[in-house]
Amino acid sequence: MASEHELSEFLKSVEKRAFKRSVYHVRREEVALDIVQDSMMKLAEHYGHKPVEELPMLFQRILSNCTLDWFRRQKTQNALFSNMGDFESAGDDGDFDLLETLSASNNPEQNESAESQTERAQTLREIEVEIQQLPARQREAFLMRYWEEMDVAETASAMGCSQGSVKTHCSRAVHALGKALTAKGIRL
Amino acid sequence: MTSLNLSQRDAYEDRFGQMIAKRLSGSVDSVPHDISERLKAARMQALSKRKVVKPQLASGTSGQGGVLSLHMGDNDRSLWNRIASLLPLLALIAGLVAIAVVAEDDRVKELADIDAQLLTDELPPDAYTDPGFAQFLRTNLRD
Repeated sequence: MASEHELSEFLKSVEKRAFKRSVYHVRREEVALDIVQDSMMKLAEHYGHKPVEELPMLFQRILSNCTLDWFRRQKTQNALFSNMGDFESAGDDGDFDLLETLSASNNPEQNESAESQTERAQTLREIEVEIQQLPARQREAFLMRYWEEMDVAETASAMGCSQGSVKTHCSRAVHALGKALTAKGIRL
Repeated sequence: MTSLNLSQRDAYEDRFGQMIAKRLSGSVDSVPHDISERLKAARMQALSKRKVVKPQLASGTSGQGGVLSLHMGDNDRSLWNRIASLLPLLALIAGLVAIAVVAEDDRVKELADIDAQLLTDELPPDAYTDPGFAQFLRTNLRD
C-alpha cells in the first residue's frame, strides 16, 4: 500500500507531464488543469490504498478517461466537435521519407549545440502545434507510447484497444508528424 | 521506405517518435509558475482525500461445540453500545428471578390449602376404630 509520501511523490513526478499532455488534447490550459486535478483526486480517493507500482498505469488510465469524458461533454454541448473518434489517417504520406528525416539527425548533440535558445523554443512550439493537429486517438497513442514511455501492451490497456490498433495509431502519428515537420523545414 | 522490412520500419518509427518525445520533454520544464502552484494545490487537495484502508482486528473470541470463532468489530464501542448489549442478559436474569418467586409462592399457597382442608374437615367415624388414633387421643388427654 502506497504511503501518503509515496503518493505525493508520485503525483509530483507526473503532474506537469500530465498537464502538458492534457493541453495537447484539449488545447486549453484551464480545462487541462481541471482534468489533471480530477484525475489526481480520483486516484487518491479510489486507489490511494494501492501499491505504489500500480499507480502509474492507474493514473494514465484515469487521465485518459477524464480527458475522454471532457470530450464527450463537449460533444453533447455542441455537436461541432466531430473528430474524437477519428481513427483514419489524415492522408497518404506523400513524399515524406522517414529515413531522410532520421539521417539528417544522426548527431543530435551537434545539432542541439548549434541551435540557439530561440530556435529550440520555436521548434518545440511547432512540434506542439503539430501534435495538437493529430487525430485524438493517434495523439493519445503517440503521447503514451513515446512520451510516457509505455510499451505497446500498456498503451493498449490504457486506451482500451488492441495492440495492433496502438501500433497503427503510432505509425500514422509518426508519419503525420514527420511529414508536417519536414514541410516546415524542421530537422530533429 | 518501401525497401524496409516491417521490423526495420517499426524501429525507425520508434526512434523518430522517441526523438520527438525527447524534444517535448523540454516543454515540461517551461510550465509557468502559476500553473505549477495550481498543480501543487490540486495535489494537496487530492492527498487530503486519499483513501486509507484500516485492517480490521478481531475484537473477541467465542467457543461453542469445539469451534472457536472471531468477532469482528470496532474496539472503541461507546458506553451506550455496551449498555445495549447487556440489556438482553439483564432481562433474562430478571425473568428467571420472577419465575422463581412466583413458583415458590404457588408452592407455599398449595401446602397452606392442604393444611387448611385437613384441619377444617370433619373427622370420619372410622377414625375411632384406628388404634393409632386412639393412642393419639390418650396421649393428648394425659398431657
